[in-house]
This record gives sequence, C-alpha cells and structure tokens, in this order.
Amino acid sequence: MGLPDMALPSAPSREARLTYTDGTSRTVYATDVEVPFPEGRLIVSRTDLAGVITHANDAFVEMSGYAREELIGAPHHILRHPDMPRIAFKGLWDDVAAGKKWHGYVKNLRKDGAYYWVYATAVPNIRNGVIVGYTSVRRKPSRTRINELVPVYAQWLAGEKAAS
Amino acid sequence: MTLNFLIAPDFAPERFAGWHMLNTTLQRRSGIHLHLLTPVSAHEQADLLAAGKADLVYANPFDATDMIRTQGYIPFARPAKRYDEMVIATGAESGLSTVEDLKAGCRIALTENKDVKLIGLRLLEPADLTEDAVRWVPVETYQAAARLAIKGEVEASFFLADAFASLTRMSRSQLRVLVESAISDISHVVLAHPRVVEALPRIEEALLAIGQVPGDSDVLEALGLPSGFEPMTQEEAEFMIDLMDTLLD
Repeated sequence: MGLPDMALPSAPSREARLTYTDGTSRTVYATDVEVPFPEGRLIVSRTDLAGVITHANDAFVEMSGYAREELIGAPHHILRHPDMPRIAFKGLWDDVAAGKKWHGYVKNLRKDGAYYWVYATAVPNIRNGVIVGYTSVRRKPSRTRINELVPVYAQWLAGEKAAS
Repeated sequence: MTLNFLIAPDFAPERFAGWHMLNTTLQRRSGIHLHLLTPVSAHEQADLLAAGKADLVYANPFDATDMIRTQGYIPFARPAKRYDEMVIATGAESGLSTVEDLKAGCRIALTENKDVKLIGLRLLEPADLTEDAVRWVPVETYQAAARLAIKGEVEASFFLADAFASLTRMSRSQLRVLVESAISDISHVVLAHPRVVEALPRIEEALLAIGQVPGDSDVLEALGLPSGFEPMTQEEAEFMIDLMDTLLD
C-alpha cells in the first residue's frame, strides 16, 4: 500500500504528483520555506532491504516533521521532494546493494511542505557477510555546493519531465 | 588468572585515579585479577594491541571499529548517557562567530584524538573546508589547543567536548564555541578479546553493577562517568560503526 496524499499546508504551496520506484504514487505539496539544518547534529535512519524505515533518531523525527510512529514502517521515499530529479539518486540503490557507500546532496520534503537540504551518505549494514539493511546519515551541507546544484537539478528535472 | 585492561589514552589526566579505583573495584567483585594498562599515546596503545596484550579494552569508537570488525573483539558495555562529542572553538577576540567564518588556509590546533578530528572535519564542511584546506597545528594537550586559540596563533581548535568542559573557567571565558556536535550515537566501548570469553560474564556483571553499591558513586565521579556503564550488544556496536563509516569521507 502506498503513502496517503499529503495534507495541504497552510503556507502557499505547489502541488505535484510523485510516482515512486515501487510503482505507488501520491500527491505532495511543497512550500518555499526552508528549515535550516540543526547545528552540530546528524540525521540518522536505518531501513530494511526494501527501503522501509526501521530506525529514526531524534534529529530525523524533528526535521521530517512526522511523528516517529509515522516514520517507522514507512518507505524512505516519504521524504522525496518534487524538486529532486531521479538521476540525482542514480546509483544509490545499486551502490549500497553492491556493498558500497553512496553520497549525495538531497533536498528533502517535510510533512508540512517545507524543505531542508542535506549531504547524505548511505552504507549497507553488513552482518556476517550479508547485507541486512541500510544506514543513512545526513549532515549539514555546504551552501556553496547547494547553490551550484540547484540549477543542475532543475535542468535534470526538466529533462526528465520532457522525456516522460 | 590475570587479565590486562587497557584504557584508551584520551581521558583527562585528572581521571587517572578513577580508572585505578574502577580496576580495584572490578577485581574485588569479579574475583579476577586485572592489570591496568594506561598507554600515554595512541602510538603506545597501538604497540600494546599489536603485541596482543589487551584482554579488556576501554576503546575510543574510532579504534573500536577495527578491533571489533577485524580482530574479533566482543563489545559488551559502554558509558551510560555519555557520548563522544566535540567542540570547535575560537579565541574570544578572533572576530569569528560561526564555522562558516573559517576560510581556506586557516590554522586549526588539534590533538591526536582521531574521533575528534573525524567529527570536526565533518563539521567544517559547511564552511567548504576540506582537510587539505586547513593548516593543522598538532598539539599534545587540549590545554595547549586552548592557549593557541586564546593567543590568536590559530583561528580555531578542536576539543573533545568533555575536555573543553574541563578547561578552567578563565580559559573558557577567553574562547568562543563555533559549533558543538550533538550526535548522541557515538561513544567509547568496553571490549573483550575472544580469548577471555569464559571470564567475560563475571567481568560484565561486575562492571554493569557498579553504581548499585554505596560508595560506588565515588568511583564513578572520579571517572567522570556518573551514570556508570550500560550493556552494549554486538548489533549496537555494529550500528555505531556503520554510522562512523559514513563520516569517514
């Protein structure tokens, strides 16, 4: 079963229909409100092999705007922002499933439609030689790098929309 | 039977007596003779580990990674409610107020503590500072790191948060914190070598119970670990190692 549609935020927002890699889709609303990354902290989550959240630290809960109970058991794409092109995640699942580390700059969508930028790293949890899940850690990104990537992501997204 | 108990060299000098008090208490309650090893440097610790002399280890998380994953050490306890956090501070007169005020070519003083450097490097990223963009000034002690920042001989210094909190009030008043980590997932770990697995339950029981007997609070206060120790499972240690792995680059 897919995620329910987002509630319409009180702040002015853009509506988008997102279709995820598992074939489900939902309506999301994105506002222009940016929430700054909390100083000195890390956002930490773990998922199972299917990308379902199994652990969320306090910073993850606070920044996402969701209650912990809403996050645990939900697919990690609950954070997917409509401004993020698919290609920005290219290699994520391939890399971690192959036992490798993945890095990327990601714009995340909060429950209230606001957004926050992170520098994300994902690693496989390898136990006795077997991948049993994934850990993702997000840290405060370089603003310079984000400013460079915003037009790049916009261009990639436009290309993806034109191709679909 | 005598077991060697190695303590990572990153504790503050005033905690030295506390580790001896803990060792004595553990010996009495476990019935196992323990010989305390207190290397003064990471290099000396590495020599002791390479020589196979450490049966029990109070390891910093960075070293624990290799000891658990490569050498098979068994994690069984960690300090309760005590995480390894770090502080980046500048001299109060430096005119800097955030990490983003640090620029390429800046001088940063640091001790040989690898955890502090690893976390510190990540906290410098928002300032677009890579390891190569900083002029590192190695120092022996956190007091020396504080002095250099206060005198303006470096733009910033890295501190273990506990060490920063242990600086004199006068020193702290002459420093300004640019950022303090609040990760709450990385801590020191108590490990046992697999060859002592038979003795482990007695040691573990004695260590985790410290705090329950009148007088134990003196030991824990002397250690600077007022909440004592809590159990740590293999999976909890693996989770911490995975997290640290994400911070390596």
